[in-house]
Amino acid sequence: MKKKLKGKVLNKAYFIIISSSLILADQLDMNGAVNSNFGNSYGFYDFSENILDLNIFYNDLQGWIQYEYSNPPDIGFANNDIRKFRLEYSTGDLVLKLGDLYEFWGRGLLLNQFDDQVTNFDNGTRGMLIEYDNGMFSASHMNGNSNIWNMGADTRTPEFNNIHSMMANRIQYNRGLMSLGLTQLRSNEEHDVNFGPSVMASHNLKGAYATWAGGNADFFVEYVDKVSTEKVTMFGTIPNDTLIKGHGYYQNFNFYLGNWGLSTEYKRYSFDKAYGDLSADDYGNQIEYQQMPTLGKEQNSTLLGRLTHNYNFNDERGVQLELNGSLLGLSLTAQYAHLSRNETWQSVGAFDWVDKAIKGYLPSSDISALPYWENYQEVSGYAFNDKLYFKLGRGSNKEILKTIRYFEGTQVDISSIDTSLAWVYDTLVWNDETYYDSTEVELYDTNYTSPFNVESKLWQQSKAFTIPMEVNYIFDNGYTVGIGFQYQEREKVNRSMGNATTFNASDSSWNMYDPDDYSNTYDETTSQLANSDGTVKTQYNRLVYLSISKAPKWSFTITHDMTNAYEASTAYDPYYNPLEALISGDLKYFTGKRNNIDPPSWIQNRWVSIEFAYNITSSQRISVMYGSIQGGLFCSNGVCRLIPPFNDGVKISYSASF
Amino acid sequence: MLKKYKPIFCFLIILSTSLAEDDDIGNIIPDLKIRLLDGSKTTIHELVQDGPLMIDFWATWCVNCKKLMKYLDQYHQDYKDDGFKVLMINTDTPRSIGKVKSYVRAQDYKFHIGMDPNKVISKKLNGMVMPTMILVDKGGEVKWRHQGYIAGEEIQAKNQITQLLERNLEEKIEG
Repeated sequence: MKKKLKGKVLNKAYFIIISSSLILADQLDMNGAVNSNFGNSYGFYDFSENILDLNIFYNDLQGWIQYEYSNPPDIGFANNDIRKFRLEYSTGDLVLKLGDLYEFWGRGLLLNQFDDQVTNFDNGTRGMLIEYDNGMFSASHMNGNSNIWNMGADTRTPEFNNIHSMMANRIQYNRGLMSLGLTQLRSNEEHDVNFGPSVMASHNLKGAYATWAGGNADFFVEYVDKVSTEKVTMFGTIPNDTLIKGHGYYQNFNFYLGNWGLSTEYKRYSFDKAYGDLSADDYGNQIEYQQMPTLGKEQNSTLLGRLTHNYNFNDERGVQLELNGSLLGLSLTAQYAHLSRNETWQSVGAFDWVDKAIKGYLPSSDISALPYWENYQEVSGYAFNDKLYFKLGRGSNKEILKTIRYFEGTQVDISSIDTSLAWVYDTLVWNDETYYDSTEVELYDTNYTSPFNVESKLWQQSKAFTIPMEVNYIFDNGYTVGIGFQYQEREKVNRSMGNATTFNASDSSWNMYDPDDYSNTYDETTSQLANSDGTVKTQYNRLVYLSISKAPKWSFTITHDMTNAYEASTAYDPYYNPLEALISGDLKYFTGKRNNIDPPSWIQNRWVSIEFAYNITSSQRISVMYGSIQGGLFCSNGVCRLIPPFNDGVKISYSASF
Repeated sequence: MLKKYKPIFCFLIILSTSLAEDDDIGNIIPDLKIRLLDGSKTTIHELVQDGPLMIDFWATWCVNCKKLMKYLDQYHQDYKDDGFKVLMINTDTPRSIGKVKSYVRAQDYKFHIGMDPNKVISKKLNGMVMPTMILVDKGGEVKWRHQGYIAGEEIQAKNQITQLLERNLEEKIEG
C-alpha cells in the first residue's frame, strides 16, 4: 500500500513537472499521439481504451508521459491515470534516464524489455539507468522495480502478478567490425503462485555476447548462465537453497552473395526441464526479462498466424534457415525451422516420466522430444509498370503437441509360482538333548518369463498446409482494387500405437493389447476436430478479403472467414450479423423473422466483417469495423494470448499524431 | 484521482485533434542517436546536415511497409545528388531481427537502415503505426508526416520530396 502511494505521488510529481515545463518553456519541442479504440458487441466483448503519448524535448532533456483512460480496456485492467513516464538527460557521452525503462541488450537472452498492449505483456522497469558511451567503450547500470502481470484462465484480465526488484549492468567494447559485451542481472522476485502466499526467489544471471559484421558475412553469439535460489521462510533462519540452474545459447550467422542472403540461427535454451506445461507454480526458471529469439517465422497472413507454435523458452533447441533473394525482378523467400525439447521422455509409470538428454547439438525428431517443423516459401513482385502487386506463399507446419504416454522397453511376466508344501524343522537343545519341531509350510517361489518388448504410445499431433495469396492493381484514376485469399488444411489427431495400452499401477506393468499374443500391435488415429455432424478429419479454413481504396484518403475492406470444424464443441452464438445473413441467403433476417432461439447452423462457421478507414489528415486516421471476427490464439514476441471471438459488433479506432 | 485527471485527458485529446490539423510541422526533430544496421552510429541531425531526410518505420513482417520501401529506395537514389536521404528505422524484435540484413541485401536497398528493436525511437518520433513517414528538412524542421500506406500514396510522398527540394533550390538561388 505504501509502495502504491509512493508511486502515485511520483506520478503526480512527474505530471506536474512536465506539464508546467510544457506551458512555461518557450524553447520546448514536443510531439504527441492519441490512440483511441472502442468496441461494442453482442457477445459482451466491449472495450474503450484511450492512450495519449506526449514527448517533450528541451535542450539535453527529454520527457515522455503516457496517459491512459480505459474502462474496460481490450485486455488488462481499467485505468485512468498516468501509465508511464520517463525523464532523460543526455550530454556528450553520458545518458541518465529516470522513470519507465525499456532496455534491450544482446538479443534478449538476459534482458529484452517491451510493452506489448496487444498481449498485455509489459516487462519494463521503473527506476534509473545511467550509461556512458564513448564509441569504443560503453557501460550501463540500471536498477528499479518491475510489476509484471501474466494472464491466467481469463482471456482479458491478468491473474498473476510477479514483482521484481532488479539491478543490471552491461559493459561493451567495440573495435572495428567487432563488439564484445558482458552483462549481469540480479533480481529478487515475489512470485505469485496458484494457491498460498507468494514465493520469494532470487535470480542471478551472467551473460556474454559477441558480434562481427563483415562485407559478405556477419555473426552474433550470446550465452547466459542463470542461478535461482528460493528464500525459505518457514522458520526464518534456513539459508537460501539453490532452486534451479540453467543456461541459454543463441547464434546467428548470415552470409551474403550478390542479391542473395542466407540467415542461419541456432538456439539452445535450457533453463528448466519439466514434462508438463509450465504454470505459475513452476518458478525459478526463465524470468520475464528474458525474451529471446524464438526461431520461428513471424507470419503476416491471418491463417498462418493462428498456427503459431507455443515456444518453450525454458527447454527448447532448434535451427532456422531463411534464404532471401531476387530473381527476374521477383522477391523470393524460403524458410525452414526445426525445434525440439532438449531431451526425450519415457513414461515409466502412470504418472512418472524420466528424461534422457539428446546427444549432439541439433534438435531431435523423436516424438517424445515434442518436435516442431515449419517451412514457408513466398514469391512477390510487381508487373504492368508496377501497377500490379502480387504475393503467393506456401506454408506447412507439423507439431507434436504433447505425449500422454510414451514407453518403449521391455517387461517380464510371471510364468509360474511354486506353491508346493515342504517340511520346516525347528530345533531346540536342552540338557545335551536335541528336540525337533516340524511344521508343513507352503512354498511361494515366483518364476519369470524372458524379457519381452513392450511399446505403448499415445500422443497428440497437428499438421497444416496453408496457401496465402494477395493481388492489388492500381488504376490510372488512383483507385486500387485488391483481393486476398488464404486457404488452409489442418489436422489435429491423437495417435496411439504399440502392443500395450495403459499402465496397471497395481502390478506395475503395462496392459498388453492382446494378452494371448504379444506380437499383435495396433496403430490408431483419432481426430480431435469436430462439428455439429460429428468428428471431422480435416479442418478447411478459408479467408477471402476484397478491398477498394483511393489514395490518400480512404480504403474499404470486406473480409469473409470460414471454417468447417472446431477443436472443441462450441455453443451456438445466436447473434449473427446481416452481412453473414446476406452472404448465406438468409432473407428472413431482413424481414424481421430472424431466429435467435434456433439460429441456422452456418453462423457458427463464418465470420464476416467490413472496415472503412479514412485519413482525416495525413496524420489523423479513423477506422470503423462492423461485423464478427473469429477468436483464437494470437502470439507476439513469443507471448501468446487467446483472443475471444468478437460477435456482431462495432470497433472504432482513431489515431492522431501531432 | 480518476475524476481529477479525466478533464485533463479530455482537454489533451481535443488539443491533439486540433493540433493534428497542422501535425508537428515546423517543429525541430529531436537529435536522437541511431544505431545503423552496419553497426555504426549516427544522429538524426547528422543525417540532415546535407539535405532533407525521409524517416520511415518498418519491420520484416509488415507487408505494407515492404511495398512502400521499394519506392522510398528509388527516391533515395533519384534525389541523392540534392542531398536527400531516406532513413528506414527497423523495429523487428529478437524474433526476426536476425533476418533484417538478409532481406535488405536481397532487395539491394541503398538507403540507411536504423535499428530500434525495443521501439524507443519509434515512441519518441510517434512511429508506432507502421509505416509512418516523416519528412525532415535540412536543419531538422519537420515538413510532412503521414501514417499508414494505401497503394498510390508513394506519389504523394514523392510530391512532398520534390516540392521541398524545389523550395530549397529557390531559396538557395534567392539567397
